[in-house]
Amino acid sequence: MKKRWLPRAVAGSVVLALGLTLAACGGGSSSSSGSGSFTVLVYGDASNKVEKQIIDTFNKTSKVKAKLQTIPGADYQTKLQTLINTKQAPDVFFNWGGGSIAPFVKAGLLLPLDDMIAKDPGLKSNFLPSVFNGAVVDGKSYGIPMRGTQPVMLFNNKKVLADNGLTAPKTWDDLLNAVKVLKAKHVTPIALGGGDQWPTLMWYEYMYDRIAGPGLFEKAMGGDKSAWDSADSRAALAKLKELIDAGAFGTNYDSVKYTDGGSVALVAQSKAAFELMGSWYYSQQQQDNPDFAKSGLGYSSFPTVDGGKGDPTDIVGNTNNYYSVLKKTKYADAIAQFLKLQYSDEFVKAHMAIGNLPTTTNTVNFLDTAAIPDYAKFQYDLVKSAPSFQLSWDQAYPQSASNAMHTAVQQFFDGKIDADGFIKAMQALPTS
Amino acid sequence: MTTTDSSRVGKRRPALRAGARWPGRRSGASVARPGFAWAAPATLFFTLFAVLPLIMVAVLSFAEWDGVDALSFTGVDNWKTLVHDHVMLQSIWLTLLTTVLGVVVQTPLSILLGVWAAGKQRNRAVLSAIYFVPLLLSATAISILWRALLDPNFGVPSQARWLFGDGNLFGHQSTAIGVLIFVGAWQYTPFHTLIYQGATRAIPQVLYQAAAIDGAGRIRQFWSITLPQLRTTMVTSMILMVVGGMTVFDTVLILTQGGPGTDTTTTPYYSYVKGFKDFQFGYASAIALILVVIATIISLVIVKFSGYDKMRSSSEGL
Repeated sequence: MKKRWLPRAVAGSVVLALGLTLAACGGGSSSSSGSGSFTVLVYGDASNKVEKQIIDTFNKTSKVKAKLQTIPGADYQTKLQTLINTKQAPDVFFNWGGGSIAPFVKAGLLLPLDDMIAKDPGLKSNFLPSVFNGAVVDGKSYGIPMRGTQPVMLFNNKKVLADNGLTAPKTWDDLLNAVKVLKAKHVTPIALGGGDQWPTLMWYEYMYDRIAGPGLFEKAMGGDKSAWDSADSRAALAKLKELIDAGAFGTNYDSVKYTDGGSVALVAQSKAAFELMGSWYYSQQQQDNPDFAKSGLGYSSFPTVDGGKGDPTDIVGNTNNYYSVLKKTKYADAIAQFLKLQYSDEFVKAHMAIGNLPTTTNTVNFLDTAAIPDYAKFQYDLVKSAPSFQLSWDQAYPQSASNAMHTAVQQFFDGKIDADGFIKAMQALPTS
Repeated sequence: MTTTDSSRVGKRRPALRAGARWPGRRSGASVARPGFAWAAPATLFFTLFAVLPLIMVAVLSFAEWDGVDALSFTGVDNWKTLVHDHVMLQSIWLTLLTTVLGVVVQTPLSILLGVWAAGKQRNRAVLSAIYFVPLLLSATAISILWRALLDPNFGVPSQARWLFGDGNLFGHQSTAIGVLIFVGAWQYTPFHTLIYQGATRAIPQVLYQAAAIDGAGRIRQFWSITLPQLRTTMVTSMILMVVGGMTVFDTVLILTQGGPGTDTTTTPYYSYVKGFKDFQFGYASAIALILVVIATIISLVIVKFSGYDKMRSSSEGL
C-alpha cells in the first residue's frame, strides 16, 4: 500500500502546487521592483498616449526604466486603494490631489517631495501655484501636476443649435428656452450619462455655485452640515428641479452612460444638443468622432443665474491630476528626473495637441500650438479669471462618501427623493 | 446524484472494487471506503480558500479597516449599524426576489430544453451545441454585451419603441430587475439544460416502452415518467440556482451598478460597495457573513424539505 500511495500523494501535491502557483499569478505578477524599472500607474483614458510618449522619452536617456500601467477609469480609485499598501503597489501614481491622497499620507505611505524640490526648485516653480498647492497636505508637497486642468463646461453641437436658431446659452433663461425649442423638435436638449452618476453631480456643483456661491459647499465640507438646509441650498435644488421637469435631459438618461460612449455619441450624432462635461470631453470626442470634434463641437461656460450669489465666472471641475510617489520606492532619484519631464516643452505640446491644458508656467507660450487654439485660449482664460475653482464634490469629500453622494444625486434627479431627502442624505455624509 | 450512484456501486460490486483498488487491505469493514488521504488535497484547498477566508471575514466584521490604515477593532459597532441599515434590509429582499425569479424563469425553460435536447436526432445535437455557447462566455463579457445591446438610443430599444417605450430599462426598479433576470437566464439556462439533458438520457427506456404499451402519449409520458424521474436532478439544479442566484454580483456591477439609486443593490453588491467603494471592509465583511448565513439556511431547508438527504435511488428495482 505504501508504494502505491506515494506516487499519488506526489501527483496530488504537484497538482496542488500548480494550483497555488496559478492562483499566485492571478494576484498580479507585475513586480514593481524588477531590475531597474519603476511602475507608473495612471487612470486609463484618452490622455494615456501623452503619458506613454513622455515615458518613452524618459526611457531613451534613463538607465532606470519607467513602465506605464493603466486602469480603466471607473475602477481606478478602487484598485489603487486595494493595491497601495501591498507589494504590487506602483512607484508613482496618478491622483486628484487633496482628499484623494489624504488617507495615504495619514498612513505614511507617500514620499514628501520637498527634498526633491529643494534639489530642483523647478519642480515647484514651473507650475501655477494654485494648482501645485492642490497636492499639498499638512504643509508638505506630495504631488506634481501631470495633466491638464479640467474645468467643467457646457459643450454643444453647433449644427443642432444653428438648425434651431439657437446660440450657446448665456443665461439660465436662455438655457430653459433652448430646452423648450429643442424638445418641440424631438431633440434631446441635454445629453446626460446618468448611469455613471458623476456626470449628474456636475449639474449640482454648478447650480449650487451659481445660486449660493462657493461658500456653501466650503461650509458644509468644514463640518457645518446646516449649510445643506439653508434657503440657498433649497433654491438651487428648486432650480435644478425646474430644469429636470422641463424635460431637459429626456426621460432615459439613467440608462445612458458617458463611460461607454453613449452620451458622447448622442451629441456627436446630433441626437442631443448639449452636454455638461469636463474639458477632457474634447479629447474624448476627438478619439470617438474626430470629424465632429474638429468642426461640430461648440463650448461655453455655464450660464449665469439671475439673483444668484455666485460669481458668473466661477468654475467647477478638477484643478489637475498629480503624480505622487510611494515612500518605499527604490528609485527616488530616477523618479525625480521623470517628474521633471512633466513641465517640459514636449509635455506641454503633447497635451495641447489632444485638447488638454497643462498648468505649467510655460503653457501660455504654446497656446497657439494647441489642436484648436481657440479652445485652449478659452479654457486658459476661464481658469485664469475664475475667482473660485471648486474641486468636484466627489473628490473633495473623502472617498467613503462618494457612493452615498452619487446615489442621492441620482435619486433626486429621478424624483425618488425630494429636496428634504437630498438634504438629509448630504448631511449624513462623512466629511473627514 | 452522487449519493445515489455511490450507494448503488457500494451495494452491487463491493468485492470487485475492494480487490482492484486496495489490494493490501483485508479488513472487511473498510473495504468500500477510500482512505482519508484521498480527501487531503480537497480538504486543504477548501481550508485555504474557503474556511480560512471565512474566519478572516468573521474577524474583520468586528473591526474597522480601510485597506490602508491599521486595522482597529470596534466590537459590535458594525453589527449595530447593520440592523438599522435600510439599504441592507432592502438588499436581502432584493436578493431573495431575484433568486426566486431566477429559479422560476430558468427551471421550466431548462427542463423543456434539456428534455428536448436529450433526443438523439442530429438537428437537436447541432442546436444544443449552439445553445451552450453562452456557457462559454464570461459573465463580464455577457453583461457588457447586453448593456450595449440595451442602450436606449443606439441599441435594440431604439428600434423597438412599441415594446420598450423610451428604453429607460435601467431607470426603473422593475425593468432593471427584469434585465438582471433576463441576462441571468440567458447565461445560466444552458448550464441547467445540460444537467437536465444528461439526467433525461439516464432514464431507462423500459419505462417509456412500458408506458407506450399502456397507451400513454408523449405528453403523458413527460408528466408521468420524465418529470418524476428528474426529481433529484431538479433539486440539484435548484440548489445550484439558489446559491448562484444569491451570490450574483458581476451582472449587477456591470448592468445596473445597483441602481437606479439603490433599487437593484443586492446583498453581494452592497457588500462590494461598502468594501471597495466606501472602503469600510469591516462593515462589508459583516454584510458578507449575513449572506453566508442566509444562503446556508436556505440550502439546508431545500435539502431537508426535498428529502434530498435521505434520497434513495430512483432506479431501484430496474
